[in-house]
Amino acid sequence: MSSQFISNDDGSFLASQYGPHWAGPDGDRLTLAIRLLNQVPPGEISLQCFEEYLEFTSSVSLQAVIETATNWKVNEKATTMLHTHSDEFIVGITSSIEPPTYPTFDNVESDDGTRNDLRNSWQEEVSGVSQGAYVSQAQHMIASASRLGLRAQTDKDRLVWPPRQLNGAGERIQEPTEQLSKLATILTWTRLSAAGAPSEFSGRAPILGGVSTVLVEFEEGPKGVFMLADDESKSPEIDGTVRFEVRRLYGQDGLMHYGLKAILC
Amino acid sequence: MVDVAMVGAGQTKFGNHPLGLKGMWAETIEKAVSSVDHGFQPTDVEEAFIGSIAFGGSQLGNTAALLTEHSGMEGVSVRRVENACASSGFALRDAWMAIKSGQADIVVAGGIEKMNDLSTSRKRYWLGVSGDTEWERLAGLTFPGTYALTARRYFHEFDSTHDDLVHVSVKNHMHGFENQVAHLRKEVSFDKAKSGFMVADPLTLYDCCPTSDGASAVILVADHLAHKFTDTPIWVKGSGAGSDHLALHDRPSLTQLRATQNAALKAYKTAGVTAGDIDLAEVHDCFTIAEVLATEDLGFAGRGLGGRFAREGQGRRNEGSVTINASGGLKSKGHPLGATGTGQAVEIFKQLRHQVEPERQVRDAELGLTHNVGGSGATCAVHIFGRER
Repeated sequence: MSSQFISNDDGSFLASQYGPHWAGPDGDRLTLAIRLLNQVPPGEISLQCFEEYLEFTSSVSLQAVIETATNWKVNEKATTMLHTHSDEFIVGITSSIEPPTYPTFDNVESDDGTRNDLRNSWQEEVSGVSQGAYVSQAQHMIASASRLGLRAQTDKDRLVWPPRQLNGAGERIQEPTEQLSKLATILTWTRLSAAGAPSEFSGRAPILGGVSTVLVEFEEGPKGVFMLADDESKSPEIDGTVRFEVRRLYGQDGLMHYGLKAILC
Repeated sequence: MVDVAMVGAGQTKFGNHPLGLKGMWAETIEKAVSSVDHGFQPTDVEEAFIGSIAFGGSQLGNTAALLTEHSGMEGVSVRRVENACASSGFALRDAWMAIKSGQADIVVAGGIEKMNDLSTSRKRYWLGVSGDTEWERLAGLTFPGTYALTARRYFHEFDSTHDDLVHVSVKNHMHGFENQVAHLRKEVSFDKAKSGFMVADPLTLYDCCPTSDGASAVILVADHLAHKFTDTPIWVKGSGAGSDHLALHDRPSLTQLRATQNAALKAYKTAGVTAGDIDLAEVHDCFTIAEVLATEDLGFAGRGLGGRFAREGQGRRNEGSVTINASGGLKSKGHPLGATGTGQAVEIFKQLRHQVEPERQVRDAELGLTHNVGGSGATCAVHIFGRER
């Protein structure tokens, strides 16, 4: 998703390509904030002006999400503040605790019906309870460095991602610390119809006309699968390149689960 | 070492079955028992292995004890075997090993799944339950998606197109048309199969097996008992199994199933035969691309030539060196997950004894093979059966 970025004397600000009224099909204030934090030099940041405006509770703490997905450190005593507009999908970084004067972003036309359908779908999804296979909150927390930050384990001379427990010698593989590339190559892809989508996506898939998934290879060796985002006007191709961004994955049990999605370069 | 004979086999019709778990299992055992030629009764059974993913909403725990209780086998040593869609393939292997090891002489292996009594919304929660839940599922994948990834990569690596998969679909529907126990008994034209609703690009509806209810069971005995029960035992000559990474992205190759290759090697070795000796094979065509890969991994076609094998019609009944999926396969006969593996063995039992519908009979069938895969290839069991010991 291309976004709208403005830096002025008050600070740095960002809104989605859809304008300040919508953060996109799988975006919200947190995903916009991560994008903004990754566009400016890192430091320490306070979330005290930000957290209360989030629509849903994240399954992994905000601090963990931000510190894993960006190079910023969260410190409530920091003088750099993360802000968000209370009514609009605009985020900002300033050096004041006072609400900033938000710049004006372009309003981009988007279909009201689609927007509302997706918003309602997210609401329903988050309030739902799995009646079959699901990934627990604990597992999301355990794997957050890999899921949100593309950190890989080192096992002798190779990188391992997603994380594993023991190697073939029966030795425990250490916690993930090595950063995988931010780009990867598409080995294959598919677009799943709404009818075939997993239950986690069954509400939104019909609105979006299905979900697309790519299987990619990182230059360091590991392979992985990722859902595609922002592919409304483009189709993937084998040997094409993707980058990654944190987006909403799905909601369940009152929590929003975030993870990396692939964006076609 | 003890040799293992199959002396009875039975199954329900696969499809939307009116009975529940207990009723379907009872029907299966009734048919298996009645297929034994002389003097067999359920109380003869010493051990039972029942494959099931417990998809249905009836009895999730201790399913095996409930089923044997309702089929005249109360008191038998029984357990459920779960290895996704390969559950009863592994139940069959466990039964074979129980007799081989000398621990039991009379063993039932079977499988069951009730899939069509769940509401659509509840069924969704179970879709892809045997894939990699944490990484694949959360990337939007259920099994149509996983196999679609494989198919697209296969087309990229080899001289093959979606048309080759259409040939698989047309063949299996043709084979299943005359099969009285098949779920989808309808022939499909090439053009219709080619233009089906896109489920997971490039796989259409006609590349995907149906969601079926069903149960199946076989009765295995030690060699010294075989002729007590029948004059025409079918010998389980070889058994092999293997496993692989659960997730496709962790595997070295996206277009080969290492679990199948390893299982086949072991099965051929224990049977003392090669792929070229096999007359008919029931392979796990949950998606048409899976049959293409299976023909290669089992050794019927060379690497990268599975598409051509299908295109040239080499697996058609009585047309090539080996008939692939004479029953219609999962594509037409149906795929009641836990019941599929032993359902394949039921077909081989009947084919080798010349007991199928005459128009479906594979000519001069002496050696048959079953190939049962769990998930997208995480587990696999291969068995080889023969008329001669």
